[in-house]
Amino acid sequence: MLVLFLAGAPSVFDSFTLSQILTKALWLGIAAASLIFLSSYGGMISLGQTGIYAVAGFTMANLVHAAGGRNLGWDPWAATAAGIAVATLFGVLCGAIASRSYGIYFLMITLAISVIVFYFFAQVTTLSGYGGIRSVTPPAVIGNPVINPLPLYYAALVASVLVYVGIRYLARTPFGLALQGIRDDPARMQALGFNVSLHRALAFGVGAFIASIAGILSVWYTTQVSPGGINLAQTINILVIAVIGGLYRLEGAWVGAAVFSTIDNYSRLWMPNVGDWLGPDRFETVIGVIFLVIVLASPGGLVGIWESVWARRNRAGRGPTESSGMPAAEEVDGVVDHPAAV
Amino acid sequence: MRRVGRRFGGLRAVADVTLEVKPGERRAILGPNGAGKTTVFNLISGEFPPTEGTVELFGRDVTYQPARLRARAGLSRTFQTSRLLLGLSVEDNLYLAVLGARRGHLLPVRLPRLERQIRERARGTAEAIGLADRLGTLVRELSHGEQRQLEVGMAQASSPKLMMLDEPAAGLSPGERHKLTDQLLALDPGMTLILIEHDMDVALRVAQWVTMMHDGRVVAEGSPAEIRSNQMVHDLYTGSRYKQ
Repeated sequence: MLVLFLAGAPSVFDSFTLSQILTKALWLGIAAASLIFLSSYGGMISLGQTGIYAVAGFTMANLVHAAGGRNLGWDPWAATAAGIAVATLFGVLCGAIASRSYGIYFLMITLAISVIVFYFFAQVTTLSGYGGIRSVTPPAVIGNPVINPLPLYYAALVASVLVYVGIRYLARTPFGLALQGIRDDPARMQALGFNVSLHRALAFGVGAFIASIAGILSVWYTTQVSPGGINLAQTINILVIAVIGGLYRLEGAWVGAAVFSTIDNYSRLWMPNVGDWLGPDRFETVIGVIFLVIVLASPGGLVGIWESVWARRNRAGRGPTESSGMPAAEEVDGVVDHPAAV
Repeated sequence: MRRVGRRFGGLRAVADVTLEVKPGERRAILGPNGAGKTTVFNLISGEFPPTEGTVELFGRDVTYQPARLRARAGLSRTFQTSRLLLGLSVEDNLYLAVLGARRGHLLPVRLPRLERQIRERARGTAEAIGLADRLGTLVRELSHGEQRQLEVGMAQASSPKLMMLDEPAAGLSPGERHKLTDQLLALDPGMTLILIEHDMDVALRVAQWVTMMHDGRVVAEGSPAEIRSNQMVHDLYTGSRYKQ
C-alpha cells in the first residue's frame, strides 16, 4: 500500500516536496536502514555509516566528470559500481577491526571510522577538491535532479524497496538467522560452532553495502560531495533518524527520515520567534527535543509507538499477535537492556 | 584430559584432573558446589584453555583449539543456566543448533534442499523433546522447564558424537525430571554423554560410570552402585568434613 502510494506520489505532491522531502527521506532512510540492520539483527549500534557512505560518494565523484577531485571521466554507472564496491570492502575491513568489540567500545570504534574518514577527505584535497567536488555527473537516466526530480525520486524509491526486501530476505537465510543468534548470545553461538567475529565483520560489510547505496544517492541528489556533508553532525543525524523511527524496526528508518526531512524543511516556517532562544533557525533544537521525547516515551521510536498501540488493540480484541522475530516494542523499552547495547 | 589444571588469578579452580571417557559411555560428574565440575566442562568444550595439562577430543589434541572448532568436530554442550537465543523462535534455535555443526553458516540465500534438511531435523528434535507444538514461540516466552528442555534439544539437534549437559535438571519439577531422565535414556547409544547433575536420582539412573570431584580434584570414580554406597560421597553431599 505504502509503496503504491509512494509510486503515485509525483502526481500528488509538487516538485519541491518530491525533491526536498520525499527523495531526501528515501536516501536518508537507506542510510538509517544500514544502521538499523546492524542494530536490530546484529546487536551492533554503529556510528560509522556516515564515513562509509562518504567513501562511496567520494569514490564515485572522483571517477566521473566533475569540478574538483580527480575528474577521471568514467561512465557514471561504472563509477557507481566502483563506489559501492570500495565502500563495501572498506566496511568489511572496518568490521574486521570492530568485530571483537561490544557495547561502548564498538560504538567508539565506529565513531572513530567516521571521524577518520571526515578528516581524511577534509585534508586530502586531491581527492575532495577545495571545499568539495561539485557538478558531479550522475547517470544519464537520472539527468539533472534540480530540473527534473522525478527520475531520482523513482531511483531512490526502487533502491529503498530493494534494500527493505533484501534485508527482510537476508534475515531468514542461514547468514541472517545466525547473525540474530549472535545478537542474542555470541558465546552460545561460538559454542554451537559459529565463527562469531567473521560473521560480525561480514554483517558490517552488508551494512556498508547498504550505506554505500545511500552515499551514491546523496551525490546524485546534490550533484556534489564535500567533507562538510559527512561531518560529526551528519553522523549524529543518521543515528537520530534511526532512533526517531525505531532503532530496532527496519521500517523506522524511512519513517524517521521522513519526519527528519519534514522538520528540516518546515521548522523554519512553523517556528515562532520566542526571545533569543527559539526561532526559525533552531532546527537542531527542535529535532533534539523530539529525539528526547521519543527516547523517553518509546525507545522503540515512532514505529514502536504504533506497534504498542496496535498490540494493545489486538490484546483487547483478538488476543496476541504473531511475532516478527524482532524485539517487541515493549521489550525494547529499556534500550540499554537490549543485547545490542551490551 | 591429562593432568589438567586451571587457575584464575590466585584461585586454582581445577588441579591435576585426569579424565578418560570412552566412545558411547554415559559419565556423570558429581560434586558439591565449587568442586570444579563446570570448569572441567569449559575446558573440554574450549571456553578457555587449561593452564596445565592437555585435552584430547576424538583422539586429537585440542588443548588450544577454540570452542567453535570443537563444536564442528562433534561436541555439543548445555550451560548451567539456560543460554538460549531469546529473540528467536524455538524452531530457529534448533535450526541454528543443527546449522552450527554443518557448512553454510555464511550463506546469504536459502537453498531449498539444505533448508528442508535442517528444518526437518529441527522439527524432529522439537518432537523428541516435547516442544513440537511450540515451534513458532519466541524462546523468551517459554517456561523455565521448557527452556531447559530446549537446552537439551539444542545439544542433541546436531547429532553430536559427544554431548555434555551441565545440570539439565536444575529447577525442574519432579514430573519434568522424570521426563528428562527418560529423554536421556532414549538417546542414541553411540553418542557419548557427560553429565553434571546435583540430582543423584537422575545422574545415577543415566550414568554408567561416575566421577566424583571436590575442591577441583577427582576424589573418587566408580559405577553408580559403588558411588551410592561410598561414605565419602555421602559426607560430601551432607556437608560432613571430607578427609582424604
